[in-house]
Amino acid sequence: MTQTGRTVDEVAVAPDDVTSVEPRTSHSWWRLTVLGIGALVFVFPFYYMIIGSLQKNQNTSLSGVVPQPGNITLRNYGEINAALNLGKTLINSGVFTGGVLLATVVFGVLAGYALAQLRFRGRGLLFVSMLLLLMVPFQLLIIPLYVLIVRYYGLGDSYLGMIAPFAINSTAVFIFRQYFLQLPKELFDAARIDGANEFRILTRIALPLVRPALLTAMLLTFIGPWNEYLWPFLITKQQSMQPLAVALANYMNTVQSTVSNPFGTILAGAVVLAVPAVALFLAFQRYFVAPNIGSAVKG
Amino acid sequence: MAQIVLNEIDKTYPGGMKAVNGLSLEIEDGEFVVLVGPSGCGKTTVLRMIAGLEEITGGTIRIGDRVMNRVAPKDRDIAMVFQNYALYPSMTVRENLAFGLRMRKTPKQEINRRVVDAANILGLAQYLERKPAALSGGQRQRVAMGRAIVREPEVFLMDEPLSNLDAKLRVSMRASLAELHERLNVTTVYVTHDQVEAMTLGDRVCVLRGGVLQQVDTPQNLFDYPVNLFVGGFIGSPSMNIVAAKLVRDDVGTAVMFAEYRLPISEHVVHARPEIEPYFGRDVILGLRPSDFEEASLVDESWARMPVTTHVTEALGGEIHVIFVVDAPPVEHKDVVDLAPEAEEGGAAVPLYEGKSVWTARVDAHSQVRAGDRIELGVDTRNLYFFDPDSGLAIGKKQAAEPRRSRRGTRSADSPGPA
Repeated sequence: MTQTGRTVDEVAVAPDDVTSVEPRTSHSWWRLTVLGIGALVFVFPFYYMIIGSLQKNQNTSLSGVVPQPGNITLRNYGEINAALNLGKTLINSGVFTGGVLLATVVFGVLAGYALAQLRFRGRGLLFVSMLLLLMVPFQLLIIPLYVLIVRYYGLGDSYLGMIAPFAINSTAVFIFRQYFLQLPKELFDAARIDGANEFRILTRIALPLVRPALLTAMLLTFIGPWNEYLWPFLITKQQSMQPLAVALANYMNTVQSTVSNPFGTILAGAVVLAVPAVALFLAFQRYFVAPNIGSAVKG
Repeated sequence: MAQIVLNEIDKTYPGGMKAVNGLSLEIEDGEFVVLVGPSGCGKTTVLRMIAGLEEITGGTIRIGDRVMNRVAPKDRDIAMVFQNYALYPSMTVRENLAFGLRMRKTPKQEINRRVVDAANILGLAQYLERKPAALSGGQRQRVAMGRAIVREPEVFLMDEPLSNLDAKLRVSMRASLAELHERLNVTTVYVTHDQVEAMTLGDRVCVLRGGVLQQVDTPQNLFDYPVNLFVGGFIGSPSMNIVAAKLVRDDVGTAVMFAEYRLPISEHVVHARPEIEPYFGRDVILGLRPSDFEEASLVDESWARMPVTTHVTEALGGEIHVIFVVDAPPVEHKDVVDLAPEAEEGGAAVPLYEGKSVWTARVDAHSQVRAGDRIELGVDTRNLYFFDPDSGLAIGKKQAAEPRRSRRGTRSADSPGPA
């Protein structure tokens, strides 16, 4: 592209060109710099976690930021694996997270559909009290929940006990309700006249339309139980039942003195914990952008 | 096939809004009935009540010989076509058509046969594997129709099925709808706000206003014998010209006077309509159809003359609409106010014509009339409409003796009235 044949519009969409329009360019330089600094601030801990996990000997000085060829090893991963049984804890994390996700989606979809589409007495009241429950912080509920689940139900050290308090997520119910409210009412009318019962309408007509939104909701929900520490920590005494986040935290408090680079070993565990979340994000990046549930209704 | 009987049905929404008020209507087996009225008149609510999508506050709805008030929509043996088609976006055309039958556990072969039949009737055969998103508006509309047809229901309910189509497609779909009804002869209730659709499709047309049934009759009878000012003004396009007038009988003869005009009325007309007698010397509201005008030079002496100055002429090819101003204030009867949906959008009152009435006359296409011309119009005074200024009820144009059904007679003409 030459300087002469350029229109104003083209300049406007090419702000990184330094020579053409001075004010715009400096403006975008500023923006780039600020954004760059922001990105660095957010990425640095992540980067440092990876570097730290690969260090043979702990190097907390500034030079530790740059990887040094002589100081790199994978031994930390082996040590954390020996101490925690990474496979087993990852499976625990997986079962816990998967169970919460499954329950969140199943109950969220069912309750959300009912609140959006069915007419029944007390629907408004139910919805409002659900929103009220959202306001109660989980920390307040921990002790009663612990008593209930461990003492009464005897579900200590079990997957079910871990999953149960998170099984119904009122935020998810709320979100799914909004999705179902967005669908055109005539679709439901048509299906009812066609003779479909509510469950058929939900599975055959409503769900396929909100599928992208559903995936987004699942991805956003994933990170919660995956990183959850407090509840699984309370409810699991046996190490073999602990999710990775809990096992890692316990490790920090107890066994770390037995390894050569405790700092690196913890960071190695953190990397293992972070990898699935990062991988999911990379794989489903586009779903993190609000999906368009475009209704193929009218022309 | 089935008869539908609505008996004094009411619909009151929570909050007290009364959408339908004591509506009674008998729809014969195989009849095509159109519910028409301005927006908000309750016509869609009535349809949804027949479908079972809306609860009935009072009265009874009978389809066939069953009272349907508390029967679920799926058990009423009806099929409905929606304005926005409501096709299931995640299913192909074939699945859309088959859905209702599959829900009813119809045998596979039977489903297949009916789907293919319907697709052939509607010209959808090559689109069966497509999703609705890949269809044009007209094709989607036909799929919506097909979904109703395959069910082979007792009753078709249609809620403005053509109003999302462009004008040209609408006309051709209107013809296909009429043909389809001819072929299947299923009882059909059709909702529209478009009076041309109502006139061309309906065996009978029900005019609603504010949830109250105004008149039910054949299209031609509605046009010729409106029961009140509202129906008179609603039916017919361009709509009826109305003005506050005075009926007089003096030395010169009987006549109706408004603005600077005096239109003589033949004694024969008065004789044929004795109900007019008490109104002599009193105020009435006069209605004149645009089609009862003609350029004076083209008609014989028996037509009354009205010299006017044309404001605008609209040449439609086959005819010319002459728009002129009559120096009389617009009628402000409630019937007329209800008729003007444009008024809400601020389009009605052109300040230029303030305090005057804007009229339309339909004249022959060969007329040489131009905007701004001073011309003489002939008026066929045999077809004047008179309305009581208080009640708005028609005076002396007798209702047809019985609201009969005429099967097809009125269907051929695209628009009502003499061309």
